[in-house]
Amino acid sequence: MSPEREHALAAEWVTARPTAWREVGLRLVRLPWLVAQHWDLVRTTLKRDIAARFQGTVFGWAWPVLQPLFLFGIYFFIFTEILQQRLGDLPEDKKALMGIYMFTAMLAWSALSESLSRGATVIVDNGNLIKKLVFPAELLPLNVVLASLTVMLFGIGIFVLATVLTPIWHAPGPAILWVPVILVLQALFLYGLVLLLATLQVFLRDTAQIMGMLTTMWMFLTPIFWIPELMGEGLEPYRGLLEANPAYHMVSAWRGALMGDVIVPAGQRLMEPVLVARIPEHLGTFALWALATYALGYTFFTVSQRRFADEV
Amino acid sequence: MTEYAIEAQGLGKAYRIYPKPLRRVGEWLTFGRYRGHHEFWALRGIDLALKPGSSLGLCGANGAGKSTLLKVLSGTTAPTEGRYRIRGRAASLLELGAGFHQDFTGRANILLNGVMMGFSRRELIQKTPEIIDFAELGAYIDEPVRTYSSGMGLRLAFAIAASVDPEVLIIDEVFAVGDMYFQKKCVDRIYEFKKRNRTIVFCSHSLYDLRQFCDVALWLESGKARAQGDSIFVTNEYAAFQRQHIGSVAEAVHGDIPLVPASAKRRPEDMPRIVDARIYRLGTDEECYEVQSGDSLEIRVWWSNPRPAETPIQIGIAFMRGDMTTCGGQATHFKGVTLAGTEGCLVLKAPELRLLAGQFLIPVVLFDGEGVHRYQDYLMPQNLLVRAYTKDIGLFRLDLEFEQRRLAPPAPEDAPVEAGARP
Repeated sequence: MSPEREHALAAEWVTARPTAWREVGLRLVRLPWLVAQHWDLVRTTLKRDIAARFQGTVFGWAWPVLQPLFLFGIYFFIFTEILQQRLGDLPEDKKALMGIYMFTAMLAWSALSESLSRGATVIVDNGNLIKKLVFPAELLPLNVVLASLTVMLFGIGIFVLATVLTPIWHAPGPAILWVPVILVLQALFLYGLVLLLATLQVFLRDTAQIMGMLTTMWMFLTPIFWIPELMGEGLEPYRGLLEANPAYHMVSAWRGALMGDVIVPAGQRLMEPVLVARIPEHLGTFALWALATYALGYTFFTVSQRRFADEV
Repeated sequence: MTEYAIEAQGLGKAYRIYPKPLRRVGEWLTFGRYRGHHEFWALRGIDLALKPGSSLGLCGANGAGKSTLLKVLSGTTAPTEGRYRIRGRAASLLELGAGFHQDFTGRANILLNGVMMGFSRRELIQKTPEIIDFAELGAYIDEPVRTYSSGMGLRLAFAIAASVDPEVLIIDEVFAVGDMYFQKKCVDRIYEFKKRNRTIVFCSHSLYDLRQFCDVALWLESGKARAQGDSIFVTNEYAAFQRQHIGSVAEAVHGDIPLVPASAKRRPEDMPRIVDARIYRLGTDEECYEVQSGDSLEIRVWWSNPRPAETPIQIGIAFMRGDMTTCGGQATHFKGVTLAGTEGCLVLKAPELRLLAGQFLIPVVLFDGEGVHRYQDYLMPQNLLVRAYTKDIGLFRLDLEFEQRRLAPPAPEDAPVEAGARP
């Protein structure tokens, strides 16, 4: 047992008292230290998690690259080639726009949906560990989030590489510098959600089922396959709903950072740049969501944690 | 002021049982005003005070709360009432191999499992050769764990755990690891812990292990402490209790001796029978059923035989342990004793009865004149409870002593001479 893990509270009485609010608050703030302290555990399990996903497959480490490529191929083919969905009359070399528009948002979204689907059962699935080992269980949901973000980063790396090497889209501008900020906020947001769901799942096994349905609904409510700027009047009654959707702000920030402003050439049907990357605005709203979700999820987790071993 | 390594006061653990998941939702919606669960107390009112360097053994039937107590002390589950505290680093081994990943090699699992247990990576890499050496897996260490036999998996798991060096070690039944050879290695490792003044808490179904390793023992029954204290005392109490629970005794006692054939037509009141049987302290009228090993006793058997000429009888008396081992006994026909007359009291004297701890049944068998058939199996209604305060093993206490001498081994002159060795 490493010196840091020596029960710091070893000589203090362990009682039946529920976790004090003060402790809950402290733990909320101390998460970075916890992660730093258990970095070995986080790193090892993260590596295991990602390696386990591709181990034994023919393509191995090519999979995190192949998946987004395949995804992009589908979007491009269906929406650009078959449905002829275009943003204005773009020059021939920029006609992949619609595919890219969806792809960038889909990358961010897939990290979210993967976190939720795998995260909801993470505590229940690891019941044996919870019951038999003494270790910070909050690292299990964190692991899920970090793994899905890592896979997402593979896809993003490929996208950036593709824009640099091929003419499908212009390479990201200075907006790409927002990426670390978006990543941290997204991690916080997903972590809070996963903690909330995973804890709920311990007590109510229907959670994962319900969440599966809700995630699908949420995906269509989020502008991944549609462009709110082009919706016109029809969207107006639901503008509030859109603005209240944290995923909207999340995917918009990613899209802005990766694609920059989408400026349609002058003299064409659309005179204004239709997609202005309002990254700071989106991130501001998203940051509030992320912090609130994290606080709620972690608090729920912390106060319920003492009963996990009895319920899983 | 004594600094205890482990201290517990009124420790209790209740599990909530929800008959249906919907009941829980009901509780949430009414903010607990509706009570949809009932509580099951797996543990209640446990007090402990263990000094550093001592070891506590838990015994009791399955479901008595042993594992629950270990879980509470190791911190995987919170107590429902009471409190405890542990001084120093604590490590628990509730299950060997918890957290193994089947697709990874043994070597990778050392890192993974060790990191879970709180080791740092560097520490583990440093200890890996030692762990591999202890587990004796050889080349298998670089094969996926899924290809291991269950014994190999357990060996690796114990080896990882054994490299932990905490002040307090909590172990749940890990003596059943692998073959006898490896078990011995594990036991040696645990002894080593003890020698280094580490505190150990463990549970075992082996009373032998408990007596060997533990200074103090706790016998749990239905979550409560039934007996607590010196390990020899507690294990004896527990052994005595275990032996009370015996199935069909008469069947086992002398099932092999046939009953007197029913064709011999006699009225029941004319049949010989055992009237009563009791145990006394030798030479006194003090009846007694709880004795210490080495006490002197006598067993009195009152019999009646209305027609001795037609039905001559013999009587046998035995001491039988709960597991149906006959530990000793005598019969009148073995000793050439004749039971004449229509009634009498037969006394079996047992000076310095050196049975070791346990609960003993005293079957009294009424035989026919030749000792071939039996008329009656009479089981003394009260068992004899023997307590022992020495560290002997087996059925009886023998006069065994050790002595050490400076003697050379015998010269090998009697050894068989190899062919052709002689010139």
